[in-house]
Amino acid sequence: MIETLRDPIDQRLRDDAGRSVADDGFTVRVLLALPAPRTRRPWLRYALVISSAALGCALAWLLAPGGISLAQGFVDLARQQAQTPSALSALGVALAMGVAAVVLVAEEN
Amino acid sequence: MAERPEPADSELVLAVVTHDDREAFAQLVRRHQSLVRATLRRLAKGDHGLADDLAQETFLLAWRNLRAFRFDARFSTWLYRIAFNAWLTDARKRREVLLDDLENAPAADEHAPALPAAERIDLERALATLSDGERAAISACYYADLTHEEAAEATGMPLGTVKTHILRAKAKLRARLGEEPR
Repeated sequence: MIETLRDPIDQRLRDDAGRSVADDGFTVRVLLALPAPRTRRPWLRYALVISSAALGCALAWLLAPGGISLAQGFVDLARQQAQTPSALSALGVALAMGVAAVVLVAEEN
Repeated sequence: MAERPEPADSELVLAVVTHDDREAFAQLVRRHQSLVRATLRRLAKGDHGLADDLAQETFLLAWRNLRAFRFDARFSTWLYRIAFNAWLTDARKRREVLLDDLENAPAADEHAPALPAAERIDLERALATLSDGERAAISACYYADLTHEEAAEATGMPLGTVKTHILRAKAKLRARLGEEPR
């Protein structure tokens, strides 16, 4: 260490390294060269996930055997009759929307 | 009223990563531009234009890869690694770069008489005459303020090679600048 301190070359290198380089517009040039800011549209992701879940539900309901009514299903569920085909469909729809909501919340965190 | 302390590098990095905060990134650039540009000027043999182009590329790469920054290392060390790789890539496009060639780098003649004052060259030109490996080691350890171990990791050279390069480089500089140890 003592030897290092006495070495003029060592000192000269340290002095040279310690001299600061003036910015002279460098930072501005770097900032101008950055890619354009991302357009943040957080609602778009929500809309996509929720609407695709809703679309899946709607297709499943349309393709399901006749006589199944979602409204009837929710009524059945409210009456605690969960075994009817309509109640099961309503339960499926609620579950799909719930899963979509959980996915979105998990991504956000 | 007490002045608000300057935010640490890690806080600024976090602001950039989480909020795309350009003002935080500007602060990082302002804080580190001198070190990065000075280091690259030495690596680029004093070519300030090339060094500044590489420094700009360094910060753009840092911006793009900031998510990959691990907070266990100093931000300046991480930046140095990017700057060094930018220089290495550019230098390899132009010519062959030999970083750990200890065999062929001519050793300095320490017993040679010091040059008379009129013939002495300045430090920048003297540094430009060093081999690539010697310049890389000197720029890492003096200009980027890395330890020998950090320099070895950043440049990919073995630790022993870094130490040998430093010793040889200093001997050459001593001979070229005519400065003897006191």
